[in-house]
Amino acid sequence: MTIRRNFLIGAALSALAVAVAGPAAAASVEGKSICYITAANSHFYVTPTNEGAQAAADAAGVELTIVSEEFSPQTGADQLNSCVSRKVDGILLWPLDANSYLPGLLKAKQAGIPVVAIDTTAGEESMKLIASFVGADKYGQGQISAKQMGEALGGEGDIIILAGQAGNNTTIMRTDGFLADKPDGINVLATVNADFDQQKALVASRDLITKFGDQIDGVYAEDDAMAAGFLQALEESGLDIKPVVLGIGGMKMAFDAINAGQMSSTIMQPPFENGRLAIETLTKVMAGETVDAVVPLENTVVTKDNIGDYEPAF
Amino acid sequence: MMRLNIGTIGNVVVRYRLLVMLAAVAVFGGWTLDDFLTLTTLQSILDRAAVVGFLALGLTPILIAGQIDLSIGSIMSLAAYATIALQPDLGNVPAAFIGLGVGILAGVVNALAVVVFKVTSLVATLATLLIGASLALLISNGQPASSADPLFGLFLTDNFLAILTPRSVLFIGAALLMFVWLKGTPSGRNLYAVGSSMPAAISAGINVNGYIAGVFVLSGFCAGAAGVIQALSSATGSPIAGSVLLIPAITAVVIGGTRLEGGRGSSLATLGGVVALGALTTLSEYNGVPSYTQAVYTGLILILLITLDRIAGGDEGKTTRTLRSAAVAKQTQQGGTS
Amino acid sequence: MSLVKSDPNPGPAPAGTLTAGSVLSVLSIPLAIVALMVLGSFVSPSFLTARNLVNILNAYSAVGLAAIGSTFVAVCGGLADLSIPANVAMGALVALGAQTLVGPVAAALLGILVASLGGLVNGVLIGYVRINPIIVTLGSGFLLLGLSQLLVGGGIVYSEPSAFGSFVAGNLLGVPVAVWTFFVVALILHIVLSRTPFGRWNFAVGGNYEASAASAVPVRFTRAAAFVLTGLLSGMCGVLIALSIGQARPIIGAGYEFVAISAVVLGGTSLFGGRGSILRTVGGVIILALISNLIVLIGLPTPSTGLATGTIILLVVAVDAYLRRRTGAE
Repeated sequence: MTIRRNFLIGAALSALAVAVAGPAAAASVEGKSICYITAANSHFYVTPTNEGAQAAADAAGVELTIVSEEFSPQTGADQLNSCVSRKVDGILLWPLDANSYLPGLLKAKQAGIPVVAIDTTAGEESMKLIASFVGADKYGQGQISAKQMGEALGGEGDIIILAGQAGNNTTIMRTDGFLADKPDGINVLATVNADFDQQKALVASRDLITKFGDQIDGVYAEDDAMAAGFLQALEESGLDIKPVVLGIGGMKMAFDAINAGQMSSTIMQPPFENGRLAIETLTKVMAGETVDAVVPLENTVVTKDNIGDYEPAF
Repeated sequence: MMRLNIGTIGNVVVRYRLLVMLAAVAVFGGWTLDDFLTLTTLQSILDRAAVVGFLALGLTPILIAGQIDLSIGSIMSLAAYATIALQPDLGNVPAAFIGLGVGILAGVVNALAVVVFKVTSLVATLATLLIGASLALLISNGQPASSADPLFGLFLTDNFLAILTPRSVLFIGAALLMFVWLKGTPSGRNLYAVGSSMPAAISAGINVNGYIAGVFVLSGFCAGAAGVIQALSSATGSPIAGSVLLIPAITAVVIGGTRLEGGRGSSLATLGGVVALGALTTLSEYNGVPSYTQAVYTGLILILLITLDRIAGGDEGKTTRTLRSAAVAKQTQQGGTS
Repeated sequence: MSLVKSDPNPGPAPAGTLTAGSVLSVLSIPLAIVALMVLGSFVSPSFLTARNLVNILNAYSAVGLAAIGSTFVAVCGGLADLSIPANVAMGALVALGAQTLVGPVAAALLGILVASLGGLVNGVLIGYVRINPIIVTLGSGFLLLGLSQLLVGGGIVYSEPSAFGSFVAGNLLGVPVAVWTFFVVALILHIVLSRTPFGRWNFAVGGNYEASAASAVPVRFTRAAAFVLTGLLSGMCGVLIALSIGQARPIIGAGYEFVAISAVVLGGTSLFGGRGSILRTVGGVIILALISNLIVLIGLPTPSTGLATGTIILLVVAVDAYLRRRTGAE
């Protein structure tokens, strides 16, 4: 079986790092319990995040219970209530929308249970009840991509957007951030929801290439898998154009495409690192230390120029 | 002899399936966890049962009448979105009523498709499932509506009498009310007649089309209620709120013992099914069991229960009866309207 | 029970005479396809290019295989198979995961075999134990999809580069191999359903189960076989997609059960048995493919697909029901 688990090496390294760096925090939280409400159990991005969280929890000696929302914020809101009733010592929450967790967060506050958000921010009201947010700035990823696109096209050109699922929080942030900072000269020909799925992106891209053909100057794919779908459709079409293709994630397929000169850039979003950092932040809060309201996962843009310095995030 | 034994054991397990499941969850939970057998856990299970519970309740009379409604999740999404999105313009309470109205309206559309246009319910509600999900996303532009007054609906999940919350009270109350209707009134009993044998129901002078239309409107109303409760208690009108709840709702109804063949079922069985599944989920979560492992044993339980039911019940030809009654339904409805 | 026979398949229903209604019923699918194509040619000048037409077929070829299987399920009165996404995932994951162990060709066959075993579980429970197909496939769908996720955790399974992989992902005489596969399978199974004893059994079982059993039709075997066939074709669907995009995840077939049912229903096959044809399902698949292509070419938001598909299903089936009632009353 050829499941690529590049993060395994990362796992070993970061576990080591935690072991070396973290004894001060570990001393006071050892044996405490954390409830981690994650987006999913089986997902190419979320699973390595969960593994990062588990590794950090093991290193700190806390008991981690992972429950999966299966991408439904309603399920997550119920799970949050359950975790509060269980009187755990800390909660790590993966918010999937702005407001759904508010009731549970209020109860957590009343019960004195600290909550840290991972990967995505919740709404303004909710964030007031959350000790810290650990994750990439997805709105910022959209903004960075808009800037990249503007520069690559000299501020003018026609592009298409391959978006994630309609209604999904990550989709909304990456789209809104992009549209907010998009230079006026960049014209969006079409936005299609390809659900972060390579096959759907392939099918939609074929149709988009049929419709717009050599009009397409650029492609903003909200993750690398969809960028790969577009590149495959482009190759099939035999069309002689070289659009600027941007992705997000830092997946292996993006690294291959950047090396081959088919893709311009991707933005690193290392999942294992995110999970590890989130648990470390939460254990600090539980130990009574002060933490920053935002612990950012740096948005590193990987292009042909600096690709040698990085390993695929997953 | 062997066969008889299996049959007897199967019969007992099937008859007391919900008690067996709940007892197993309690024993296993008490054994693996220190904090499982508490009133708080029970409260949490009942509270979480409320939303999927309303969907499952709406589905119960539908199945008793020998129909199916696949559109409940989409209806719930539309109602949830309306409940929050209309708050600024109409006020919190009127918006919630509009949410219920959306559910009823969608139920009327299903009823028209099935009763007037004679599209079988499986196909008609597949179409309205697609249309409803699509409309919710188009109207909302894919963005969930966040309530400007998020504290308004929070009371729904508050503590009430130690083991309840207001929304679980609503669900349990609705299940009891439906039980009284189904078992204690002539119209409830007629519904079983419609589901058992449509020709017999027609010759007994029962307004079959009226009953079928009625259960679709009721199902729409229940899906609307699920949407309103979900939206208010989470202060969010998500256009995809119900998309993942159709399958759990059907599973809960079936595990409760209501059959897809029509003519058999009860709202208390549905209440039990929802609670038993919810208890199992809670136990799994407390133990950190991954969701896919939960899916594996949910599937096994479903198949096992239904197989035991089949062996114990021994009524051959059930599957065909559905099919035939559906075909007959077409014929008789033709006769009834032309 | 259908009183009009709108396809050439022999079945237990009494053969009706050719009426205006039945002619319309036969022509409705070609008419719908032509209408959508006319619309397309107005919408975009590139619609009627060979490349676009090939793309349209290519997009729905893989899921079309599952729709062909679902036609057998529907004709024999087995309603629908909700475990299609699970079997698609199993086929895809095994076909890529086993490549390093047994080579790409054997791995693909193994993927199809494993998916067929999923179908066999359904078949035994539905055909022989005689449990409601919706519940069985709901349960087996949970079980198999859960197992497939258990198998890979959250990983993505990638394809090893191979001549076989490139062949499946590539073209033959200018047409994608996936499209060839769909049409060849459709042709063979059209003959099976319309010209062989097994095909006749399907119509008989779906038309009248008791009468068929009494007249020595192997009723249990027939219904079980329809589900095994759907499992097998779902596996093929998974293998085709996995090899053509070079990777597989458990969600690879999400939603395909509804696409398959929609295609069957659009084609005019009754989900309650006794009536239907593979050619009509092929028509249904083409209509769905055209809708999704046109949504992009017109520039409508992606979620509009559900609105268009649902509305067309309601229209087609309501008109069909109306015509059937009219001709039945004549």
